[in-house]
This record gives sequence, structure tokens and C-alpha cells, in this order.
Amino acid sequence: MAEDLVLDTAIRDWVLIPLSVVMVLIGILRYFVSKLMRSFQTPDPKIVKEGHFLFCRQVIVRARNLRAAANFITPKSFRSRRVYFSNEENGLLFVPKGQAQNLQAQMFSDPNMAMDMMKKNLSMIIPQTLTFAWVNFFFSGFVAAKIPFPLTQRFRSMLQNGIDLSTVDVSYVSSRSWYFLNLFGLRGLFSLILGEENATDDTQRMMQMSGFGFDPSKSLSAEKDGLDIVQHEWALPKFEHRAEAVLKKLVS
Amino acid sequence: MAGHSDSSSSEKKSNEAMNDVPVFSAENMQNNMKVIYYSRTFMSIIGGVIAGILGFTGFMGFVFYFLVMTITSIGLIARAKFSVHSYVDSWNRIILDGFMGGLMSFVLFWTFAYDIVHIF
Repeated sequence: MAEDLVLDTAIRDWVLIPLSVVMVLIGILRYFVSKLMRSFQTPDPKIVKEGHFLFCRQVIVRARNLRAAANFITPKSFRSRRVYFSNEENGLLFVPKGQAQNLQAQMFSDPNMAMDMMKKNLSMIIPQTLTFAWVNFFFSGFVAAKIPFPLTQRFRSMLQNGIDLSTVDVSYVSSRSWYFLNLFGLRGLFSLILGEENATDDTQRMMQMSGFGFDPSKSLSAEKDGLDIVQHEWALPKFEHRAEAVLKKLVS
Repeated sequence: MAGHSDSSSSEKKSNEAMNDVPVFSAENMQNNMKVIYYSRTFMSIIGGVIAGILGFTGFMGFVFYFLVMTITSIGLIARAKFSVHSYVDSWNRIILDGFMGGLMSFVLFWTFAYDIVHIF
């Protein structure tokens, strides 16, 4: 089937463009809503577990900085810092096994944190579900667009959902596939118009979600192992010579 | 090219030290990566619209996408005055970074422009 179907102009005006506009607007709305919700969450000082959690976070950040900049301090001072962190008895990174399990269980049963995760997940899923239902209800049963590249027959059921003719070229797709195309393609546009990385990037948020619960025990032991592995190479032995060379160049 | 140089006008040097161990200022590196990402996204959107207007179909369109990405890479490298290592830590970053991310935007705008122009 190599003939080109000519589609009604009204489809362009009333399906493609409104759908794209609506998705862009919903994305912008979601961005502002998530910004507002974040500003409402004031840090809660009365929860002791949260305090412990933040403390662990800071320790991890410090250990990571030490690992990254290890070569710029003298060997002796690096070693003393390392012992401070990974000492068996009272090092900051050492968490005895029993305590580790406890922390994790407490983390998951903490209602505040569960609510937070639920809220963030929902704010992603609900607009998508609603828009998808709206698209299905209003815009089904006709050919909406033609995608410029050919696909195999297997995609037919996925892309041509409302169209019941099986001889139409797979390139002619229904509005549902226009919705999905918009969903993935507008991410780049959002990052351009909304400034920094925003809530429409699903994969990043998934990773953040999964990293949330395991924070205390596993990352502490991971950091400890990383710190133990580091081989210290004193990178600035000829510092005075270099300073001398630079000064000489400046003066002469 | 005015728009192009505007978006990368804030690239900063991330490697200032002249000693044996390369030092990277993480904040500047991140800023540079952001600039590269924005440039690629912008160029892939524009490339999509151009491909749609010109009526590329199928394989030709993807070839055009790679062409646009290559032009973006060359532009970025020229903007970094060819001393790539003082701005990012490896060649791969400046060449390959936003490739797949720009593809979806390219396809979206390509489909859009193609439909509006040719199947009107």
C-alpha cells in the first residue's frame, strides 16, 4: 500500500495540536505543583529517626569527599581520617549487623516517609492516567497521524488501536500512539523551557525512590569498603617546585 | 549560529591545574554537561522540524538525525576551542552524550511537521 491517504484538516486542528498543547500545559502544571508541595514540607526536627537518617546522609557525603580528594592531603592525615571513619569499634561508618536490620525496618514503617513516596508517585501517575483515559474516550476510532518511517506488522495492534481496517498501512496511527509519542518526546522540550531537571523524567525518579529506603546500612558499608580500597598517591610532591616555576614565569 | 553560541556561552573551564593529576571542578563540569544537553535537545527539535518539512521518510530521516547530531558535536567542539579536555573529562561526553535523549524529541517533531505539511 504505497498510496498516501489524505486526511482531513480538521484532524490536524482539533486532535494533534490540542493534544500536544494539553500535554505541555499539564507538564508545566505538574512542575509548579511539585514545586509548591516541596516548599510546604518543612523539616521535622522532632522525629529522632529522621535525625539519624540525616546524620547518616552527612557521614556518607563526608566519606565520599574524602575518597574523591584523597590525593591532595598528606598520607598521614589521609590515614588518620580513614581510621576515624572505618575503625572497627567506634568508626562512623561501622554499623553492627543487628542494628542495621532495625534501622531498615524502622525506615519503612515510618508513616511520614511512606506518605512522601506515595505522594510523589501519585503526582506522576495520576495526570498520565487521566490524560490517557481522556484521549481514549474522545479521540478513538480514526486515523490521527502518519509516522514518517515504516514499522513492521507487529506494531499494528499497538499503534492502530481504534482503527478496524487491517489493510491500512501501519504508518497511519491512532491518537493513542500520538499520545505516547508526545509523552516521550516532550521531555526534552520540558527540560528546555522549565530550566533544571523536572518531575517529568520517570526513570530518574524511579532510581531516587529505590535509593530512599536502603540508605542507612547498605550505603554505609559500601562507603566503608570504598574507603578501605583507596590507594593513596600523594599528588602534590613537587608543589614547591611548581610554585617556583609559576612565580618565575610571572616575574620574568 | 547565534542561537548556538548563546546556549554554550556559559561553558566554564573545569580543568585549570597544570600538574600531572587532572583536577575537575565538579560544579563547572555539571554546568558544561547541562549546556551540552540543552544544545543537543534544541538542535534535535529543530532538526525534527526541518526533516518533516523537507519530507524525509524512513531511513533518510534517521540519517538526517545523525547528521544533525554530528553537526552539533562539531559545533560544541569548536566552541570549546578544540581543547576538549579542559572542559569535559573525556571525548565521549561531548560527542555521545545526549544522543538517545534527543531521538524521541526528534521523532515527535518530525512526525508533527511531516503531518502538517504533507498530509494536510
